[in-house]
Amino acid sequence: MFLRILRHEWSTLRADATLWVVAGVFAVAIGYGVWNGVRWVEFQTRALAGAAAEEQERYDGLRQRVDDIVKTGGQVSPFADPRSPSNVGGRLGPRYAMLPPGPLAPLAIGQSDLLPYYFRISTDSRENILAATEIENPQRLLVGRFDLAFVVIFLYPLLILAVTYNMLSAEKEQGTLALVLSQPVALRTIVTGKITLRAMVLVGTVLVCSGVALALGGVDLASPGIGLRLLLWAGAVAVYGAFWFSLAALVASFGRGSATSATILASAWLVLVVMLPSLFNLAVTTIYPVPSRVEMVQAMREASDDASAEGSKLLASYYEDHPELATGDAEQAMTDFNMIRVAVNDDVERRVRPVVARYEQQIVAQQAAIDGLRFLSPAVLMQEALNDLAGTGTARHRHFVAQVDRFHAEWRGYFTPLIFQRAQVTSFDDVPRFAFEEEATGAIARRVGVSLAGLALPAALMGLFGVSRLRRYPVVG
Amino acid sequence: MLEATNLTKHYNGVTALDSLTLTVEPGEVFCLLGANGAGKTTTINLFLNFIAPTSGTAAINGIDVVQQPLETKKYVAYIPETVMLYRNLTGLENLEYFAALAGRPDYTRDQLLGFFQEVGLAGDAADRRVGTYSKGMRQKVGIAIAIAKGARSLLLDEPTSGLDPKASNEFSDLLKRMSDSGVAVLMATHDLFRAKESGTRVGIMKHGTLVAVHGTDEFGHADLERLYLQYMHD
Amino acid sequence: MVLRIARKELVEMMRDGRFRVLSAIVLAVSLVSLLAGWKHYTDLSRQHETAAASTREQWVNQPEKNPHSAAHYGVYAFKPKSQLAIVDTGIDPYMGVAVWLEAHRQNEFKYRPAQDRTAVQRFGEMTAGEVLQVLLPLFVVLMTFSAFSGEREQGTLRQLLSLGVRRRDLMMGKALGIAAALGLVLVPSVIMGVVAMALTLEGGLLAGDPMRAVLLVAVYAAYFAVMIALALGVSAWAASSRLALVILLSFWFTNSLIASRAVSDLASALHPTPSAIEFQQAMQADLDDRAPVQRRLDERRAALLREYNVDTIDALPIAFSGISLQEGEEYANLVFDRHYGRLFDLYDRQNRVHQLAGVVAPMLAVRSLSMGLAGTDFLQHRDFIRAAEDYRRDIQRILNGDIVRNQKPGQVYLAGRALWEEVPPFDYEAPATSWVLAAYTTSLLVLGLWMAAAVAWMLRAGATARVD
Repeated sequence: MFLRILRHEWSTLRADATLWVVAGVFAVAIGYGVWNGVRWVEFQTRALAGAAAEEQERYDGLRQRVDDIVKTGGQVSPFADPRSPSNVGGRLGPRYAMLPPGPLAPLAIGQSDLLPYYFRISTDSRENILAATEIENPQRLLVGRFDLAFVVIFLYPLLILAVTYNMLSAEKEQGTLALVLSQPVALRTIVTGKITLRAMVLVGTVLVCSGVALALGGVDLASPGIGLRLLLWAGAVAVYGAFWFSLAALVASFGRGSATSATILASAWLVLVVMLPSLFNLAVTTIYPVPSRVEMVQAMREASDDASAEGSKLLASYYEDHPELATGDAEQAMTDFNMIRVAVNDDVERRVRPVVARYEQQIVAQQAAIDGLRFLSPAVLMQEALNDLAGTGTARHRHFVAQVDRFHAEWRGYFTPLIFQRAQVTSFDDVPRFAFEEEATGAIARRVGVSLAGLALPAALMGLFGVSRLRRYPVVG
Repeated sequence: MLEATNLTKHYNGVTALDSLTLTVEPGEVFCLLGANGAGKTTTINLFLNFIAPTSGTAAINGIDVVQQPLETKKYVAYIPETVMLYRNLTGLENLEYFAALAGRPDYTRDQLLGFFQEVGLAGDAADRRVGTYSKGMRQKVGIAIAIAKGARSLLLDEPTSGLDPKASNEFSDLLKRMSDSGVAVLMATHDLFRAKESGTRVGIMKHGTLVAVHGTDEFGHADLERLYLQYMHD
Repeated sequence: MVLRIARKELVEMMRDGRFRVLSAIVLAVSLVSLLAGWKHYTDLSRQHETAAASTREQWVNQPEKNPHSAAHYGVYAFKPKSQLAIVDTGIDPYMGVAVWLEAHRQNEFKYRPAQDRTAVQRFGEMTAGEVLQVLLPLFVVLMTFSAFSGEREQGTLRQLLSLGVRRRDLMMGKALGIAAALGLVLVPSVIMGVVAMALTLEGGLLAGDPMRAVLLVAVYAAYFAVMIALALGVSAWAASSRLALVILLSFWFTNSLIASRAVSDLASALHPTPSAIEFQQAMQADLDDRAPVQRRLDERRAALLREYNVDTIDALPIAFSGISLQEGEEYANLVFDRHYGRLFDLYDRQNRVHQLAGVVAPMLAVRSLSMGLAGTDFLQHRDFIRAAEDYRRDIQRILNGDIVRNQKPGQVYLAGRALWEEVPPFDYEAPATSWVLAAYTTSLLVLGLWMAAAVAWMLRAGATARVD
């Protein structure tokens, strides 16, 4: 019976131009979205390769210069000496800490166009290192990208609503519903059949089109956890679709006319997808305002002025904290510019830390508020889930920055003792390297799982409520 | 067999149907007459469980329509004023779909064409989209569905209004054939002439109440009209 | 006659529950967005003013040091907030807020506010500008889609035309009535906006640039006129109200949500932005090429030795090291101008694609104009970048000039507060309104074109519309 209804729905829908227009528009939008995503990933990959090449070339140059100096025994200015740990750790030998695009990065550009995906690690202060960004036309950042996530979050629900808003009301208006229901078949069977077919067409279009586009754009099927990610991605698309189909079913069960149903559904889309997310943003930025970074800039400046002014004193206290670094002739060390700089940097960072923490705190508070509010808007839930799966969200970036922090500490831990021991960098191979450790797939799955549950629950409730209301559907009148 | 027992329906305090008790036996054609709003369509909608009764019961083949709405629909066919079909499908596809919904998904094309012939639809009409059908043709498809379904009861809601006399006549013939084969027919109509011609009994309704029931063999055409107007007057 | 029709439309609309609900929502959202915009603006501009004052403090309070050390110490420049950012924050969240002006180097603006927000930011800001650009056109669509087709479906159109009402008057009257209804919804917001601006400005309302605000209102008025005319035209042209609604909703969605993203990606495909690595490497390669500076220095050295008739630079009455520093700056400036110039021209070209694409989606033209008039567009940021860079170069000239005059060979030269104060405070004046208008003639033309085309289409659709 169910198959019968599916087949029948298919033949009536097939004869209607709407479905083809909708599916066509959808396929084109998906293709364009994935193409944009793939191009962006290629751009990032190129930039990272460029950075790696630059680093390699620089290190080759350093090795060459050391060889030259050793061979000729020539004199070099202490500011240009490629053996000086202060120079290598600072200006000459920074290494890149890179965040490679995640395995499903083409699916959602997310925050990856805004948040930097590589840092040049040196003995410079953390804040200076983290302030680097990829260059981009700010207007382009403002507008956002036409990626698959945009198509899925904005267009996909609209198309679902476009093919479902009148699934019952049209039959009622054209009079076939009474004849259908004079047969021994329950209305909920009919509605389920209608929705199943439409869902098969639309969800199928997303999955097939994006699958094909991804395959063409090249996705590494060998990367770890890719199977689970793809599965979750398909699940997210399906559950998000289910939310909108359930909403349509619920509204259909009210038994209103096509025009009223269309208005109700369009308003729901506008509120849930367009207005609520912007209002959330407005609310959290107003309740937990992050002060302009100009305050931090000034605080850092003051701290470094103060620290520089008492440079030698700082060095003394630095030795107190780190007696293991003190060499015999501490007296002479007082004058050593590089040592003072290490001490000053250290002090600046300590002074600035509470200021930076204030920013962090506000951002964390904003995120916490959004994490709660997101359950009110399927679009926000979906955005977080898709960004997480694509690895272009805030969480993976935080994960990256945490690793960068650790690496920065390791970097300093490598160079500082050398500076204080007045040693030289002997082997460039020993200079620490950064390797990004991907987030555990399990952690992503848990986060995405929560988002999906947040979508599935209202979907199920609306669906059940809608279906139960169908029992009282006004077939006549 | 169609049975109503003390069937009552109130809409927001207005009585649309008041304690209707009625039995239509197999082979019987019961015509419900009455002004617009007298409760004829309400009666049919109650039998179809499209609306819930305020009190009383409606039963088809002895089964209560409220308690087992899907079961009862296996035995009944419904023909509205205009049989609305899926415009984009052919007559045959419509018939096939409705037959399948009715629990008969196994008809062959020849069998389905046979039903079309049985109701007097030309062979080429079967493969045309119903968007091009006249009203008379649609009503015949309605009967074809009823036959294909093997319905033992038939609910008709002014099925001949707006039909030209020839089409109307053909429709009545089909109805007669069905009732001869033992189908119980309940028909709401304004057409006194058709009621006399094809009905076995007529019931006259007024303000939701069945005020009179007569056998059609009790009087001639003219008498029926007089009787009807008499009830309508006061 | 037109006024009569307009009055009837207005009365009818105001009795419509839909209108009351919708206008309450629009009014509430626009007031909330204005309030939030006002709060953000006052917070940020206070922070920026404080920072600007303190960077100056730090500069003049430097201890005695060599002027070149001071040049390395540098100052920060913070872009002052434009007042109309209350209405439209434009690219502000995506543009760094601070730039360090130091010796030898033109730095990039750092710290984009958007990086300090959650990902939800990317759904939009819900500024008054966004309400006007996105929500109000939808409001217009919902109020207008059945304005003509509804009369046809009710049968009142036959009645009207049988009375000898001219179709042209009917269309104009309806348009006017809808415009009046829209005005009723918007007036409170405009009044509040004006009050907010008056409150935030020290010198009162006229201290800012009232012309910009007036033009901003005019641009949005023109945009709504386009939307009303289009919607009415479609209502007359479409076979049914439902079809009109579907067409108009599709147009709204394409215009306000799809077009800008699709065009942005197109623009970057046409004019690809280099990566930061590529950009820095290319610029560094040019900076590292010291041959031109060396040549220039050799020439100057020879000329000076000749001029003062001495044999060594140490014998010169002026410090050649200062000249050398300044020559290095001058050369680097050429490199910066070339590379940054090329990059910013690229952004301009990308943004011009947005302006041109306004032909397809009028929202793009309106957005460009809105950001331009609010002073939150890239062109005005670029102007600020230019001003900050000019200031940096002034500082270098002043400091290097001081070295040239005062540094003596073999001596440690330290300058003090007098020199620091010789550097004037950074004072930025935003470009004049006429400059903005000249930069956005394309968008103005596009908007004008839409207006003419939409009204013509509306009248034509009204003239040829079926009666039933």
